[in-house]
Amino acid sequence: MGAAERTSLPSRRRRRPTLAPYGLILPVAAAIGLLLGYPIYKLVRISFERYGLFELIRHRGHWIGLDNYRSVLGDHVFWDTVVRTIVFTVANVGLTIVLGTLIALLLVRISAWVRVTLLTGLVLVWAMPVVVAVQVFYWMTNFENGVLNYLLARMHVVGEGHDWYATPLSSLGMVTLLIVWGALPFVVVSVYAGLAQVPHELVEAAQIDGAGPLRIFRDVTFPVLKPILLILTSLSIIWDFGVFAQPYLLIGSSHLDATNYLMGVYVFIKGYADHDFGRGAAISLLMLLMVAAMSVVYVRQMIKASSVR
Amino acid sequence: MSSVAAPRRKRRRRFGRLGWNLVALALFVVLIFPVYWMFATAFKSTDDIDRLTPTWFPTHPTLQHFRDAIDRPYFWSSVVNSLIIVGITVAVSVVLAFLAAIALSKFRFTGREVFIVLLIGIQMLPQVGLVIPLYVVLAKYHLTRDQGVYLGVIITYMTFALPFAVWTLRGFLVNIPKELEEAAMVDGSSRLGAFFRILLPLVAPGLVATSVFVFITSWNEFVFAYVLLNDQSKQTITVWLSEFYGTSRQVDWGGLMAGSILAAVPVLTFFGFVQRKIAFGLTAGAVKA
Amino acid sequence: MKARIIGAALLVAVLAVAASTATGATKRSAASVTVWLQVDAQSGWPGVVAAANAAFQKQHPGVTVNVQYQNWGTHLGKFDATLAGGNSPDVIEMGNTEMTKYMAAGAFQDLSSLKSQFDNSGTWLAGLAASGRYNGKLYGVPYYAGSRVVTYRTDQYRQAGIKGAPTSLAQFTTDAAKLAKKFGKSGYSPVYIAGTDWYVAMGFVYDFGGKIATQISGKWKGMLSSPKSIAGLTAYKNFFLAASKASKTTDENRPTPYSVYADGNAGSIVGPGWFTCCVGDAYKTSTAQFVMPSHTSGQAMPGFLGGSDLAVPVGANKQLGADWIAAFTSTSSEKALQAAGNIPNATNLLNTAKVGERAALRSWFVPAAKNWVNVENGNILRTMLSQILTGKLSVKQAAATADSNIEYTLNAS
Repeated sequence: MGAAERTSLPSRRRRRPTLAPYGLILPVAAAIGLLLGYPIYKLVRISFERYGLFELIRHRGHWIGLDNYRSVLGDHVFWDTVVRTIVFTVANVGLTIVLGTLIALLLVRISAWVRVTLLTGLVLVWAMPVVVAVQVFYWMTNFENGVLNYLLARMHVVGEGHDWYATPLSSLGMVTLLIVWGALPFVVVSVYAGLAQVPHELVEAAQIDGAGPLRIFRDVTFPVLKPILLILTSLSIIWDFGVFAQPYLLIGSSHLDATNYLMGVYVFIKGYADHDFGRGAAISLLMLLMVAAMSVVYVRQMIKASSVR
Repeated sequence: MSSVAAPRRKRRRRFGRLGWNLVALALFVVLIFPVYWMFATAFKSTDDIDRLTPTWFPTHPTLQHFRDAIDRPYFWSSVVNSLIIVGITVAVSVVLAFLAAIALSKFRFTGREVFIVLLIGIQMLPQVGLVIPLYVVLAKYHLTRDQGVYLGVIITYMTFALPFAVWTLRGFLVNIPKELEEAAMVDGSSRLGAFFRILLPLVAPGLVATSVFVFITSWNEFVFAYVLLNDQSKQTITVWLSEFYGTSRQVDWGGLMAGSILAAVPVLTFFGFVQRKIAFGLTAGAVKA
Repeated sequence: MKARIIGAALLVAVLAVAASTATGATKRSAASVTVWLQVDAQSGWPGVVAAANAAFQKQHPGVTVNVQYQNWGTHLGKFDATLAGGNSPDVIEMGNTEMTKYMAAGAFQDLSSLKSQFDNSGTWLAGLAASGRYNGKLYGVPYYAGSRVVTYRTDQYRQAGIKGAPTSLAQFTTDAAKLAKKFGKSGYSPVYIAGTDWYVAMGFVYDFGGKIATQISGKWKGMLSSPKSIAGLTAYKNFFLAASKASKTTDENRPTPYSVYADGNAGSIVGPGWFTCCVGDAYKTSTAQFVMPSHTSGQAMPGFLGGSDLAVPVGANKQLGADWIAAFTSTSSEKALQAAGNIPNATNLLNTAKVGERAALRSWFVPAAKNWVNVENGNILRTMLSQILTGKLSVKQAAATADSNIEYTLNAS
């Protein structure tokens, strides 16, 4: 059974358009529409207004047209942050998806008790609240007594007391480690669940034909995983581009500045902590456009890939 | 199928399996280390924790932090609140999302592309920007005072979980060949019957993965729970945890670690129940040609 | 089939919850008063809160008091949401540096006419009272204050031959040298101060007569480049290099000074008085405090006056809110807060025998600018200190950069 066999229905089975799909999507559409309709409208609207704490209290903004956008787009800090965040996102998504898939493939090849152990470990990782995870991670990686330095110094990889948070690059590297670590469980579990749909017989047939594991992955496994991987990739892009909690807490509010902002942190500080809600809304919408642009390739593939029969 | 080739393959597979087992265990140790650190800290005496030099193992293990955590006001009520809110969120979200995912994967209808774009678009919005407008909307529906806050939080969590859940479940549904349904229908069962008997078991791993994700994300969610649940007696366990580090004085790290472990117990229990479903899906295999 | 039953059950559950909310009260009733205090009170002095509630209820029988404890990092975001949703508490505790922005935006009700009902309102601590005033009107009632002192190892000072608490900065510097000579192994700081701890560093600036910023005909001007401020910053740099082995770029939370102290790596630390909580079992009995000395002999260096105010947001019940605040800041209540380790809100209540309260007599405070919090959010002062200490920029250059950043932030609309 391969992709070629998923043909469209013979014409005698084709039905008249029914109302069934609308009924099925109605609860979801209603929930989203009723709750998010007004907030999204408001977000767009205040991006064109001067809306600070003063206006918030009076529930009324002051129309200023494109001034928020002009000020944001003319700020070099904004552009530096965008570029930095794009690079960060590519690194994080790449690492997460590749490592996650590899670990899921590993899960198939190991004994049951090892599998349960590893899965339990992954769920423990997944269940750890972000604040706790950040704090533990900081204890592990700080320059004075972190266990990371302890081990690396013994192996003569770095000198004693190396400060991983001294430069923006290594700070964000630490944040990447933390985020990938936290994101792996979900990717592993999803890909592993996807592997369940790989037809066992095809794999065996290919093995009998003498195909190596790489070939089997490419020809049998990957096509089945493709929809899941497309979804996971697009979701990871969305989340990693706008990630806030981990960089904000790990780098620490005392160390965040224009040299190490990521978009999620930038919009929070410049928009909401500083109480410039109009500006925050403008940045949020610009972020939306950018993420959409970054993920459009995957999304279009996803929409095309499924053949509704 | 030659039987001569079989033993050689089996031997190779056994060695391979041992090797992979070792790799997996090494990976386990690396991944789990921060979790171990959290556990160790929860049992360390406060003196050990306050000291700058970390100790690998608690020198004088103590249960005091767990006692402190449980004695803190609103611990039990927070657990109950979290269970109610997250339980309802997961159940309703997964059911509704599954229905919508079926629509997206099995039907062609006008507005399909718009719906898809809407689902993806919502996930792209930075949530930080939506907190205040969402609060205003919920206030208008009277869901920010008294008992209404529970429904307010549940609806909020559902709204953010649904796009993701629909999208993921659709991915799992798409893989199931139409022939399976048709094979069942040949037996004379209705489309719905075929669906439940054939599709549901096949998509079970996907349902499980999605519910675990929605469960964990909602369980650990902080911002909306903190803002919307105006009363400490209604707060969730994640908000309760935030009180450990929300002080301007010294942070009770031991208590925070102990509290986090306690807060994670329901999550782990939930996963423990459902994890068998994933394994089941894997071994069941697909269609026997 | 099973799925259908489960689905139906859930639907019923959801509807039940929905139905119960329809009957919930929605109007702000005069039968209750909602108070937002920080979790510090919940863990530190719950008895004081209970006493205030009791006193309030004696005055207003039938009105329930609903105290909700909030977190420092996130309470403003929640407050903003309630302001937008028309749902704010009747009383809110605000950090004294947080007040100006909200007063300027009109978030609080004017309590000027009710000032006389608050105990000791005539002798409120100057620094704290100023944070609750805007355009001459009273918006925030001082709740409690916090000061900064030096916590030190009595045994180490004795062994190093230091006779008593230093009375001047110069003497403190020589004392630090004595400590370094006696105990100086790697990682030991005679006086541990985190490099970017601007609360300590700005004390030096104000000690020399400088200041952070001042308002000239409506516009804010950064004053860190003034000669006096430069003198203060240079004095800080010299003292830091001589006495502290802390990282030049780190802040006072990573690591906390008391953990360094508990590890035996600090002879003294500068910070709030409550640091004695966590100095480690080994050093609990050999720890005492003194006031940070000024460069002028015999005087105290101005210390950052932390603290909180209590305000009544717009839309709240003004009289009930004010009455609760009056009960919570009454003389007896303030005395109880004092017993819990805080500095009370009025000078006539101060017990100058206590080190912390003596330190509060000479204090400095941040500029009363509505955008001051944005300066903190942007870490302008921390960056400046880091540049000065690492030598990346000279004191004059770093101060000039900080000044222009401060002006840009404070003067933004």
